[in-house]
Amino acid sequence: MTGFQIPRNSLAWMLVAQTAVIAPHLTRLLYWTIVLCVVCVLWRVMVYQGRWSYPGKWIKVLFVVFGIAGSIIGYGTFLGLDPWVGLLIMMFVLKLLEMHHKRDGYVIILLGYFVAMTQFLYDQSIPSTMYMFLCVTMITAALIGLNQTRSHLRPLQTFKKASVLLMQSVPLMVVLFVLFPRIPPLWTVPLQTDMARTGVTDTMSPGSIALLAQSDELAFRATFVDEVPRSSKLYWRGLVLSRFDGKSWTQELPALYGRLYRPGQPPTSWQDNMELLGEEVKYSIMLEPTSQNWLFSLTMPEGTTKEGIGLVRDFRFYSFREIRAKLRYELTSHLNYRIDRELSDFWRYRYTLLPKDSNPRSLTLAKTIRANSLNQTDYIRNILRSYYLDEFVYTLKPPLLGDDSIDEFLLDSKRGFCEHYAGSFVFLMRAVGIPARVVVGYQGGEYNRIGNYIEVRQFDAHAWTEVWQEGQGWIRVDPTSAVAPERIESGLESAVEDENTFLANLPLSWMKYRQTLWLTEIRLQLSAISHYWDSWVVGYTPSVQISLLTKYFGDLDRKWLGMMMLTTFFSLLGIVAIFILGKRSHKLLQPIDREYLKFCQLLAKEGLPRSVGEGPIHYAQRIGQQRPDLAPAMNVVTDAYVRMNYAEDQPEKTDSLRRAIRAFRFRTLTTVAY
Amino acid sequence: MASNANTPDSTVWQSTRFRQWLSRRMPPSSAITLDQKKIFILPTREGIFFSLLIVFMVLAGINYQNSLIFALAFLLASLLMVSILHTYRNLSGLTILAGGTLPAFAGEDAEFTVVLSRFGARTYEALLLGWNRELLQGADLLEDEEVKVKLFVETRVRGPMNPGRLLIQTYYPVGLFRSWTWADLDMNTIVYPRPIPAGAIPSTTATSNEGELIQREGVDDFYGLREYQQGDPLKHVAWKSYARTEELLTKQFAAFADRRVWLEWEFFPGMDREARLSRLCYWVLKLDATNDEYGLRLPGVEITPNRGPEHREEVLKALALFEVDQFEIEKDS
Repeated sequence: MTGFQIPRNSLAWMLVAQTAVIAPHLTRLLYWTIVLCVVCVLWRVMVYQGRWSYPGKWIKVLFVVFGIAGSIIGYGTFLGLDPWVGLLIMMFVLKLLEMHHKRDGYVIILLGYFVAMTQFLYDQSIPSTMYMFLCVTMITAALIGLNQTRSHLRPLQTFKKASVLLMQSVPLMVVLFVLFPRIPPLWTVPLQTDMARTGVTDTMSPGSIALLAQSDELAFRATFVDEVPRSSKLYWRGLVLSRFDGKSWTQELPALYGRLYRPGQPPTSWQDNMELLGEEVKYSIMLEPTSQNWLFSLTMPEGTTKEGIGLVRDFRFYSFREIRAKLRYELTSHLNYRIDRELSDFWRYRYTLLPKDSNPRSLTLAKTIRANSLNQTDYIRNILRSYYLDEFVYTLKPPLLGDDSIDEFLLDSKRGFCEHYAGSFVFLMRAVGIPARVVVGYQGGEYNRIGNYIEVRQFDAHAWTEVWQEGQGWIRVDPTSAVAPERIESGLESAVEDENTFLANLPLSWMKYRQTLWLTEIRLQLSAISHYWDSWVVGYTPSVQISLLTKYFGDLDRKWLGMMMLTTFFSLLGIVAIFILGKRSHKLLQPIDREYLKFCQLLAKEGLPRSVGEGPIHYAQRIGQQRPDLAPAMNVVTDAYVRMNYAEDQPEKTDSLRRAIRAFRFRTLTTVAY
Repeated sequence: MASNANTPDSTVWQSTRFRQWLSRRMPPSSAITLDQKKIFILPTREGIFFSLLIVFMVLAGINYQNSLIFALAFLLASLLMVSILHTYRNLSGLTILAGGTLPAFAGEDAEFTVVLSRFGARTYEALLLGWNRELLQGADLLEDEEVKVKLFVETRVRGPMNPGRLLIQTYYPVGLFRSWTWADLDMNTIVYPRPIPAGAIPSTTATSNEGELIQREGVDDFYGLREYQQGDPLKHVAWKSYARTEELLTKQFAAFADRRVWLEWEFFPGMDREARLSRLCYWVLKLDATNDEYGLRLPGVEITPNRGPEHREEVLKALALFEVDQFEIEKDS
């Protein structure tokens, strides 16, 4: 079982790389997997030091059984990315205890590259990529170490070699990255696991959005083709919630909506209900993964042409696949619009439906105010005014509410976040028979002037309402603006400035230091870089590739693209080859050696080449015998070279050698002239 | 290059046509500098697995529509291509020179010294060389301009030995490709017969007319002392008397004429040629160890008695080469 020993150089890099590659997975791994990793690494170190021997067969079997059983128990399933990555990592470390042949070393290294790959399924950001590049360099160093002689004991040299190899590979990689014909998925991969993601959900209950607003995570970035609309116009519509159970708001039953509009299909009947007015606003959205299906758009969007996205009856977009990777989509919206000018009795019924016997006090309140109002418009105005006049408080820390949440909010606590206002407002509308619904999404966002886009974060999450008016259709009414107009004009931070609750749980969030100018500058820069990265690297999808390459090279099909890729790749490989194999040897020489070699070439031209392995002194002696006329000058040069090269004391300047060679050249020229 | 029974396995597999092609391409020479004409390069098994890993990663990239998985796959693919250049570079420009050789007795290892040398700044790492593919010797050319590598080749039968083409290969830096060359350095040595113990040496005085000599310097029986002369073996100096008298004296030993041995082909009637040669070889070693004078008589070969390393070599060589052509034919058939 002994025989082969992994070179020390390689083993060291293997262990370092392994630790580094596994490190980002730690939070996702089960704790016992981590224990197993540590045990294996320590065991391997003990084997290396000769204190322990490799574990016996039964211990290994025990480890594997323990590992697999632990996975099944720990994850409860094998259908997901996490369990598979967990198993992969387990194999990766267990292999450490079974290194009897050189090929076992290769197995570990290939597994290492593979584990490095899995990290990108979780995180494709710039820091993650840079870190993984470092990891790949270390794995490559282990690979090089495996092929070095046992006597090579300079791990840093090995790492340097790995870096050189990878640096030479990077330009080639870029060619492949840009030109390799990207194709849509060949088959669906159901492996990706649901990650707990923050974001707008399809249920709104009191406190749910206030909770979301504690997060500074990125929701999406929107790049506008032309001017960016004013912040108060930026209502990013996500979901329409119209069913109320007394406490929470949920979506309408999908079956009632009828057919979705899909690109490439004939328009649905309800699309006639959409009148788009005014100027169009063109923009694209780079949505962060949500694990949900809904997409955000400014009201009111035109239909879409993007594959895999449909328009729903309530005029919002729906992705047929859950959004598990960053998704980029282009939209055109009209900020003026008229939708559903006619509303059928059925829908009037649905949009005025309230649960029986819930929130009786609010119901009475609504009827009282309605009795004192002239008409529906006056009623709406009165409601909004009463939010203001009754000193309602806009707060990120709303009190908990009981079963009749609207009663408690409107008549007792009077403290709430946007969902309280939107929910109670729709309730008050429906109480008097006005069709109304809740809309959730985001409002506002921060403008990044460096990247020229709007950045929307989770704390921009918002809920507002739409009220149907005879002859006008659905009108957006945002009751929050009656209580806290600064929320709409300049965002959450200024709206809750007094109570100082903005990102209270995130003391180190970048967003809290918006007043510090230089920090903001750095933040905007980093954000812009990250946006470019998301757009052009992470978001380099088949369609982006085609549109980019078509822009520069005209129409291309995949065959041409493949040809172009191969031609460019191999031309570049040729250049790299010249760089690697070319006669660069002189560049790496000491200056004196370079001078001396030039001198030898000079003599070679005279027909007196230095033979292979001939030392300078022997060479000088031989030349002295063959051409006594050259001997004195030859000796001067050789002496100078040998003295500088081998003398222990401070080496002289190259100049003296150069002078001697110049003198020699002069002499040969004059002798030739005779 | 002619192969014989001593040619190591690693080169035997080569077909005759391939060998002819090789000889045209890389004729035997005692100094070979490797260039693209002489270097072969192919992926290793690990290289193929590595390619499969890349294919797998590209598939993962497609199915997950994950750009950075693509990027990693492409980085590794580029690394694979770049490693071809590096593996090639790790042989290209290397100069291999034939060094000295040492003979061996059949069944032992013959020693061949090969000198690897580099010129300029290019360094070479993890070179593997040898005649036996399973037992390659590693060598680095990093700081040194030249490195001597001693290679040992197993021998089987007596006769002249040319180990054939030397395999020089490297997997450096990443082991995904193997570049190699078959260098024919035209190195030769001699394999002596395998010594086989053969009992006491039969007396051969009858045939010697130099047997009158009563006394010669030998090693057996102490005879007397004489003044030290330059060249006398140090172990024969009478150190005890030197300590007493500070006069250097050499001990003389008596050997008798019948100790001037003739090693005769005729000693072993009925035995075949090889058995006789092996036994004669054994005696040569015995007699040499006791510093006796010995001569050799084989059909058509006569070496007069003498002693010393040159003589020993001459005699052993005669044994090794005796009727070697006939022997080769027998071996081949």
